[in-house]
Parts: sequence; C-alpha cells; structure tokens
Amino acid sequence: MADWTSYYRNEDEEEEQEDGEQSAGEERLTGRDSLVFLVDASKEMFIKGEDGAPSNFDMTMQVVRTVYTSKIISSHRDLIALVFYGTEHSKNPNDTFKHVYVYHDLDEPGAKRVQDVDALRGEKGAKLAAETLGCGPSSLGDALWCCANLYSDIKLRLSHKRLMIFTCREQPHGGDNVKDRQARTKASDLKETGVVIDLIHLMKPGGFDVSLFFRDIVSPPEDESELGLQLEPCEKLDDLQKRVRAKEQKKRATARINLCLGDGLNVAVGLYATAVTARKPPPVKLYRESNEAVRSKTRTFHTQTGSLLLPSEIKKAQTYGKKQIEMEKDEVDFIKKFDDPGLVLMGFKPMEKLKLHHHIKPSVFLYPEEGEIKGSACLFSALLKKCSEKNVYALCRCIARRNNPPRFVALVPQNEEVDDAKVQINPPGFNVIYLPYADDVRTLDLPRCTSASQEQVDKMKDIVTKLRFKYNDAFENPVIQKHYRNLEALALDMMAPEEVEDLIMPKVEQIDRRLGSLVDEFKNLVYPANYNPESKPAAKRKTADSGGGAEKKPKVEVSMDQIKVHVQNGTLGKLTVPVLKEACKQFGVRTTGTKKQELIDALMDQLSS
Amino acid sequence: MAKSALILCMDVGFNMSNSGPGEESPFDQAKRVIQKFVQRQVFAETKDELALVLFGTDSTKNPLDNDDQYQNITVHRNLMVPDFKLLEEIENQIHPESQQADCIFDIALNVCVLVENTTIHKLDRRNIVLLTDLNSPVSSDNLDVIIENLKQADITLQFLPGQKRPRTEGRPGHGEAHHQLCMFKRIERRPMAWPCQLTIGSALSIRIVGYKAVTEEKLKKSWKTVDAQTNQKDDVKRETVYCLDDDNETEVQKEDIIQGFRYGSDIVPFSKVDQEQMKYTHDGKCFAVLGFTKQSSVQRHRFMGTQVIKIFPGKDDEHAAVALSALIQALHELQMVAIVRYAYDRRSNPQVGAAFPCIKQDHECLMYVQLPFMEDLRHFTFPSLENNSKFTPSDEQLSAVDSLIDSMMLVEEDEDGKQKDIFKVHDIPNPAFQRLFQCLHHRAVNPGTPLPAMESWLKATLECPEVIRERCQSALGEIKNKFTLTQVEKKKKLKTSAQIFGKDSDEPEAKKAKEDEADEEFNLADIAEGSVTSVGSVDPARDFRTLIRQKTLTFEEVCKQLTHRIEQLLGNKSTDYYMKSITCVEAFREQSVKLGNADLYNSYLQLLKSSIPTQGLESFWELLVQDGVTLISEDEVEGSTVTRNEARQFLVTERIEEAAAHPAEDPGDVDDLVRIVLL
Repeated sequence: MADWTSYYRNEDEEEEQEDGEQSAGEERLTGRDSLVFLVDASKEMFIKGEDGAPSNFDMTMQVVRTVYTSKIISSHRDLIALVFYGTEHSKNPNDTFKHVYVYHDLDEPGAKRVQDVDALRGEKGAKLAAETLGCGPSSLGDALWCCANLYSDIKLRLSHKRLMIFTCREQPHGGDNVKDRQARTKASDLKETGVVIDLIHLMKPGGFDVSLFFRDIVSPPEDESELGLQLEPCEKLDDLQKRVRAKEQKKRATARINLCLGDGLNVAVGLYATAVTARKPPPVKLYRESNEAVRSKTRTFHTQTGSLLLPSEIKKAQTYGKKQIEMEKDEVDFIKKFDDPGLVLMGFKPMEKLKLHHHIKPSVFLYPEEGEIKGSACLFSALLKKCSEKNVYALCRCIARRNNPPRFVALVPQNEEVDDAKVQINPPGFNVIYLPYADDVRTLDLPRCTSASQEQVDKMKDIVTKLRFKYNDAFENPVIQKHYRNLEALALDMMAPEEVEDLIMPKVEQIDRRLGSLVDEFKNLVYPANYNPESKPAAKRKTADSGGGAEKKPKVEVSMDQIKVHVQNGTLGKLTVPVLKEACKQFGVRTTGTKKQELIDALMDQLSS
Repeated sequence: MAKSALILCMDVGFNMSNSGPGEESPFDQAKRVIQKFVQRQVFAETKDELALVLFGTDSTKNPLDNDDQYQNITVHRNLMVPDFKLLEEIENQIHPESQQADCIFDIALNVCVLVENTTIHKLDRRNIVLLTDLNSPVSSDNLDVIIENLKQADITLQFLPGQKRPRTEGRPGHGEAHHQLCMFKRIERRPMAWPCQLTIGSALSIRIVGYKAVTEEKLKKSWKTVDAQTNQKDDVKRETVYCLDDDNETEVQKEDIIQGFRYGSDIVPFSKVDQEQMKYTHDGKCFAVLGFTKQSSVQRHRFMGTQVIKIFPGKDDEHAAVALSALIQALHELQMVAIVRYAYDRRSNPQVGAAFPCIKQDHECLMYVQLPFMEDLRHFTFPSLENNSKFTPSDEQLSAVDSLIDSMMLVEEDEDGKQKDIFKVHDIPNPAFQRLFQCLHHRAVNPGTPLPAMESWLKATLECPEVIRERCQSALGEIKNKFTLTQVEKKKKLKTSAQIFGKDSDEPEAKKAKEDEADEEFNLADIAEGSVTSVGSVDPARDFRTLIRQKTLTFEEVCKQLTHRIEQLLGNKSTDYYMKSITCVEAFREQSVKLGNADLYNSYLQLLKSSIPTQGLESFWELLVQDGVTLISEDEVEGSTVTRNEARQFLVTERIEEAAAHPAEDPGDVDDLVRIVLL
C-alpha cells in the first residue's frame, strides 16, 4: 500500500498529488508494509476433504498465491515472506531452528516467487511438499523466533508488520507446556516490536477451539469485540480468501480532517479510499545497454538564452476574450484556496433526496480518528446511529486537501455488517458521495419516447427473470489481468502467456439457450417483421400503432424473370428496397450494402453480364 | 452551431443618475449588470454576438442619424463576439450623461432592431435587453406596437434591472435572467450522441443512443507557463532529460531508452510493439447485457468512474423506443438492474456497469454507471463502533444528536405538504470556476493590483443557510454539553535530517569541529584535487568550499554554480537528494558567514522559500527547519539586512503570511449587486 499512488493513478489524483505533495512525502518516509505467512506443514494440513475437496494446505497455497499476485499489481513494494513450521527439513539463516523452513524470506514478490508457490499447489504440490518440507515435530516458538529474525534482518524501515498463522491444529505442541510457554513468550516479544499476529484457523473435524492455545498468541482485536476469536474456522476457499484479504491490506487514511458540526464543534475523521480505479501501471524507462531504470528530469529554461529559469522567473497565463492574463504561481494557488481542509456540516436531508444519477466520482469512506480528538468516536457513532435511524444523510462542504476548491458531499450512514462467518462485509461509518455542481449536470434534449404496452413489458419481464443472477462480487478486469499475464510470461520466459478469461464478456450461447423462444416472442411484439435493429434507421416508418406489435407486411415477391426485365431496361430503381434485397437473395448476389443504389449496383453487376 | 445575438440597450440619460443618499444610482447598477453579463459571455467563450447601444447620450452615432431624428442614441458597439476590449470600454468609457432619455426610449429600440439586422451570420435567437429605470415610457401604445413588431421579427425583449419596471410581466426568462447574471455562465457542453445497440444474447438487440448526463466538468483551458519578463509563452521551454541513477547523473539519449514494466520486484523490458501485439483487444463499441440483478445488490457507494450515461432509444426509431421502454418498465417493476459490458469504442477499455431504469413524467431512459473491478476494491476492516463500550453514546447523547438533526433539516414541507429543498447543490455553480473568472477578470481590467477577495454572494452560497444556523444553536449547545471532545496533544515527531538518515545526533558537532580544522585539510585536498574547476554533482558542498578557497572564480560565480546544483538535486524530490541539498545549503551559509557576505545567501534562501509550494518542497523545507538552517542575521555578518529576530522568524512565518496574503474584504459593493440582481 505504501505507494499505491504510483499504481492507481487517475487524473484527479494526479491533481491532488500535486497539491498534497506533503502527505505523499510523509508516506514515503513511513516505510514499507510487510506480511509473513507462517504455515503449518504438519500431515493434518494435507488431509483432503470429503469428495476430494482440496486439503487445507492446498487452499492456503492458493490464497498465498492470490496475495502474491495481487500485491504485485497493487503494491509491489510491500515485503512478503512464506515460512513453514512442523516440517521435517529445516532451512533458515544459519539453520538455527529445527523444523522451520523459510521458503521465501521477506522481500518484494516477483514472478519467480509466484511460480514457487504454484509448485506447491495441487496433487503435485503435495508431493513436492513431502519431498522438500516433509512433516516433523513442531515448535511454534522456534517458528516465531525465526520470523522475528526475518523482521530484524530487514534494513528498510517497516511501517506495518503482520504475521498470519495458517493452521488446523488447535494445539500444535500436543499439550507440551514448556513448548506452549516458549511460543507465548516469543509471540509477546513479536507483538512488542509492533508485529500484529493473526490466526487463520482452518477446518478440522470437531471444530477449532481457539481458547486452548491460540488466544494468547494472537494480537488482541482493535476493538473490544473479540471479533477475531469468535470467527468460525475457514472451510471454503472463498471464506479463506475473504478473511485473508480483509487483513492483508493495511488501511491508511488519505486525509485526516475535522468534521465541523458548527461553532467550533469538531469531530476528527479520516478519509479512506476503498475503491480506486486500477489502471495498467505506467511503463518504466530503461537504458537499452543495461536494462537499468533511468530517471527523468524536467527542466524549464529560456528559449533564447538557454539558461534555466527559476520559479520566480516564470508566470502562469490564460487567454480569454483575446487577452492573455498573467498571474504569479502563488496567485494561482491563492485563487484555488477557499478554506483550510475540512468537512463543514450544512444540514441534513432525507435519503430519497440523494439522486442516483448525482455521481461524479467514486465515493470514499469516513471513520472517526480517536487519536486526533478524543471523544470523536462517540459523537461520530451517535451521528451514525441517528442518521441511519432517521434515514437521513448529512450534507457537508468538503475540502480534502490544501488549496483544493470545495465540493459538496453527502455523508451516507452505513451500519456494520458481518457475514455468517463473522467476517466484516461493511464497516461502520459514512460513505462520502460527491455531488455535482450546476456545471456538472448537462442539459439533454429529451427525445420523444413511445411507451411500451403492458403485454410487451410482461414479455420483457420474463426475459429479465430468466437472466437473473446474484451480483455480489466484482469481476476481474481483463485488461489488467492480460497485461500482467503477459509480463509474467516474459518475466518467467514462458512460451505463451496464460490465457485470461474475459469474465465481462456476455455468455451469449448460455443466454440464448436460457431465453429460448422468448426472444422471438418479444421481437414479434415490438418489432415489425422487416425491422432490423442492426441496420441504420430507415426513414420514419408510419406504423399504425406502437402498442400492439406491428402489422406484418406481406412478403414481397417478384419473379426472377421480372427482375431480369428490369435489369435489361435499367428500371430497377422502380422497385423498393425490400424487393431488391429479396432479389439479391434469389440470385445469390452478395452485398454488403443496404442502400438502394448499392443493391441496384450489385444486381446490375451480376445480371447484366 | 446555434448562435444567438443580443443587444444590450442601456439608458445613460440623466434620469439614471438619480439616487437616494447612500444608494447606488440606477446607472451604476445597470453598468455593473452589463459588466457581469459581458464578463460571463467572455469566459464562457460562446460564439454568441453582442452589441451595446446607449441612449440618452450627449452625442449621436447611429445609422439612422438624420437631422433631428434618432438623436442622442449611440451604437457603441455593433454585433460581434464580446472580448476584453469591450469590457475595458465599459469600465472606462461609459459615463452617465445629461440627456433626457424617456422620449427616445422607443426609437432606441428601432435602432436596436436595425443593429440586430446588421450581422451577416445566421442567427437562431435574437434578444434585446433594455436597461433603464423609466417607469413608463411616453406612450405605452407606441411601446405595444414596438413589442408587437419585435415579436414578428422573432426578437425577444427583456427589461433589466430597473427598480420600477415597465410592463414586462409574463415575459419568459425574466426572473431567470436576473438570477443567473450574478454568476458566470455555467459550463455548457454540447451533448455528444453515442449510438450503439443494447444486446441481450445474440438474437435480441435494441438500437440505443447514449448521452453523458452528469460528469465532473473541467475547464477547457489550463495555465500556460510564460516568461515573467516578456510574458511570452514561446520564451519558455520545458525539456525532459533522462539520466542514470548514478552519482554523475549520466545523461542518456532518448534513442537509448526502451520501455519496461514492473512485475513485482522484476522489471520486464517490454517494447511498445510487443505490448501492442499482446495487449487485450476487443470488438469495440458495445452495450451488452451480462445479466440482471436486484437493484439493492448494487450499492450506491460502489459506483465508479466519473460519469452517468443516459441511454435513450435510437433516434427516430419508434420500434427501438417501444423495445427499450419495455425493458425500462420491466426493470422498474421488478426492482432490478441490468449488469452490462460497456465499451465506448475499440480503443477504450471495456467496463462493467449497472443500467438503472429511470422513469420520469416526460421521459424514460436507462442510467448507466460504472461498477468496480475486483482490482479496484480495497477491503478494509474497521473496528466495530457498537461493540465498544468507550464509544457507545448514552441515550442522552443520542437524543442531543437527534434534535440536532431535526433542527438542521434542509428539506421541509410547506403548508401544502410540498417538499421544499433549501440547499440544492446541483443549482450551485462550481465556485472554483466562478472564483477563477473573477480573478482573471480583475487582473485583466485592473492590472497591477492585488487579487480581490471572494465575492460575498459566492461565499454565502457555500455556507450553511442562515435560518439553519440560527435554528440549530440550542441543539448545538446541547451537544457541546453532552459530549466531551478534547484535542489530543501530540508531540510532533521532529524528524531532523540526521534522524532520517541515521546519522548520530552528535555528528553535526563533530563535523563542525572538523570544519574548523578545514584549512589544513583543504591544503591537502588541493594537492589531491587540484582539478576542481566547477561545482560538480558528486560532492557539491566540498567542491564549493574548495573553489572558494582557490579564489580562481568569483564568489558570485561559485555561488551560482552551487545554487544551480541545489536546484538540480531538489528536482528529484527524494530524501537522498534532499540530504545532499541540505549539506549544500549549510556549506553556502557557512562560507557566506566566513566571507562576511550575507546577501547572496539570504536572497537565495528567500527565493527557495517562495518556491516551496510550486516545487512541492514542503518536506525538504521541514528538514531545513528542523536543522535550524535560517537566514544570516546582522549579528553574524555586518551589513546583513536581516535582524536576529527576523532570521528566527523566517522559518516559522509561513502561517502568518498566508493569513496576511488575503486582501481585506470589502463585501459592500458585491452585496449590493446580489441584492439588485436577485431583485
């Protein structure tokens, strides 16, 4: 996450970045995020589920792979490590620890590492694991100690440190008190250095009792809810993915500002970007000889003298009404500045006043910052509760960054929501919806519309119902996936990139099959027989009515002989387009054109020779 | 392209100068309105033409001027696109004059009609706006005849603003014109039609046309960089050069650069050609239904992209209209949406979005909004607020918030049970544009004067409505009583450059001590590095010291070389380079003090400070501040114009200056304008 700005870039942000240089600089100084996967490699992990369901180990590797590849896309500068415990073989610096296998030490994920993880998946993976890792006695204490060393060996500043333990054994030491105590000590040492320890417990027969051992190992949850411990063990890959995903990304406020309710009454809040358009990353410029990255420097200089221009030697200008108007650079900033950053409450409105089409950019999320103003969370929580109860939203003026002009936003209350496995789906807080100004709403000439009859609507309802699906997960972006598959192939010297399934392509055959005759029935109700929606609109047809379907024109038929006569006499022009089309069909004349002259030309070419 | 013509016909006769004590005269009001209007047209860059006719002038200048007829009427400007020249003329050349205007009121209109007919362009709309305070013209009958004539010529007539208006009731666009004049025209873009086919499977397609309905409008123009002396854009050139990331910053030619992409820790060389060949391609333009889903499963806060597209049936196609209507109504009745694949054209990336049914009294359409891809979403988990006893509000606290909400409702029902929204954001013009135009206009018409404060009407539109502010006072007080909010005092983490770069904190002292012995050291250095002839990039501070000792170049020249290097280093915006820059600035300071020449250093540091916002050097400046590198005061160097206090203040004055930069506000005039215009 540390430098997502360089990866997720859109126009707005570029603009904001300019203005918010300071915060960007701050992020740079805070260091890298890091994540250690500590995975149990005991034989219990390799037991397959019923009906050949993947083993816990297999599922874990799948998740690890997903995290690797998603980090590569979203935050490649984060450091990740993969460590196994309970192995037969050992591999760690100086081989100090037995039965601990450092598969990947803390580093940026790359193509090679993705391949390494891939190798551990599936049937073959289990075999490879048995060969390279093997199963042996486990000591979580040693494993944690080893992980602590991984952290301390890193010379870079680490900002966020997280360790995830994947296991299906509630008592890794089988009740050995000495080993248990040692593990607890090591865990608390780690936590003291700022490492957050999570348990991702996997399904085992008889359930997973966290209280037996792991309660004292993991970090306490951020709130008092003990949410983390009540979680059911993960059984399905989906659940596992979700739970890991929820933990794996460090949330970081894009801005910390005050929400002013009026009269100096301030609540400290943080703004979080929960959805940012992911784009293909910009290319890196490389020196041809060495393939090393080059830096670019942009210089401003005087065209005539060639000397570099200092900021004081340039001005900014715009031309309006045939006049160029100049400003100093600081005047340009002065114009942009309306107020200091912050949210200012204007009032409240019923939710139905928030129009669906008042959308100009993705929303952000608002959550209290107890660390800035004590008491914020309580007032925020009261505001959230009441807004939600009364079904209102708060209208605020928002300046998110220095020298940004104001925008009005709707703060829409969102209550916390958790799924069956107690994983948070929606966090508690306000969604900040940006509202358009008068300039942003365009005036459209509304075309004259004809309404459909109930019969037609009902037929369409049948179609809609047939094609219902549950939209709860977003699709993968085929453009970005393809790009990374290509890079992956090049990075790993693969023969061809892995195929990307374009998930946002309509499944045409399936749709057709499902709809069956409904399509024709609907078309018969709304389209006249000779109507082709694929073609250019024909001149206004005077259909008698628009309600009860169209009358069917009798099929035009002209004998082949008649056509030949017309060709000879050059009087094809007398015939209508449908007749000409029919004639083309009869004579097997292939035309791409639909215009009358094109049809005539085609027929003439074919028949007059 | 639709074009219209407008004639501003202004009364400048002596009746316009009458005003009560302390009141603005009708003349001044009218002039202001005209200025506002022309200004608005100029910044909207419309191609609409505009003319200015004055009546009640002492002199006469019009095409109908004939002995004693059509006297005291001046066509100040014929129909043409308004520009700043016109604005300057209005500012400087239009004054109240002494003629009686009421008797020529009607014939002035005739002049206007004539002027309307002078343009060679084909016009879609023709308007005359009359600005006068005349209660009732000499002969109303005559006026009625003229109005009838105008109607026949398809010219609309409006009266503005006049405290006592002639009979204009019922004229369209009347009140609207008043209100809209006070702001710059909102940006209008001609909606571009996007014809396509909505497809459901392979067999069913409906001809549609899409229009962008809502999108964040940007100004067409942006700031250009010009030379400060000549104001010429051509005198400034920007150039990007590439260099290796080594100490010498070895420059690399453009031809020697290839492109690559990051794949995690790997950088993969990937030529443009390969990229083109391997990239994702698709069939182009499309609006294909993937399936239908419940409206409730598409969450409002998941909307992506920057626009809403309205989908209508294909133009002049009744069958498409019926088919689309069936879909819209079906979705509406089932409370569902279509999830579609949308691609604008072959070159643009496809997206997934939701098409909502929208049924209004006068039209039906689908509204398309983009939805997120998996890669776009961040799944952040936040601590629960409900399960935390520390954060759980008491019933008393909840009821205080409850009454605050009640007292601040912006939508109210009036006696007839009709809802009234007193704060419609989509009626507010973008204040950024309004403010920019105000300042540009000010600079163009009053060059050399500081920029004005924000207009008070604009400020007012951005504030909480007065009625609400008054009404919520007691509820707000209650909240203050019931909730404790305390600012958390934070020890601001001081990050000195030393800390960031891991130097021992006592190192600077050690270094200073070393520098005291510098003389000997440099003597040795001279032998070893006798070849230092300019301030290089490897160790610019050392080169700088060496060169000053060598005295082969003037102090000025060496300083210039050093500052040049500093600029280069700062251009990189990276902490490593900031560090290097700081040692340079320190060396600059130290040598300046030594030589007793503070001017060059002081002016450079001031320049540097002024460029912080433009160059984004805030974090660098912070380091300088932490390290206490400030101006050289008179205590240190005799002849420095900086006092010790000033030197100390220099590093901390930013905030105060910012406040002082705001010109004093003078809302009086502008308030007047709003009053008149909103009359």
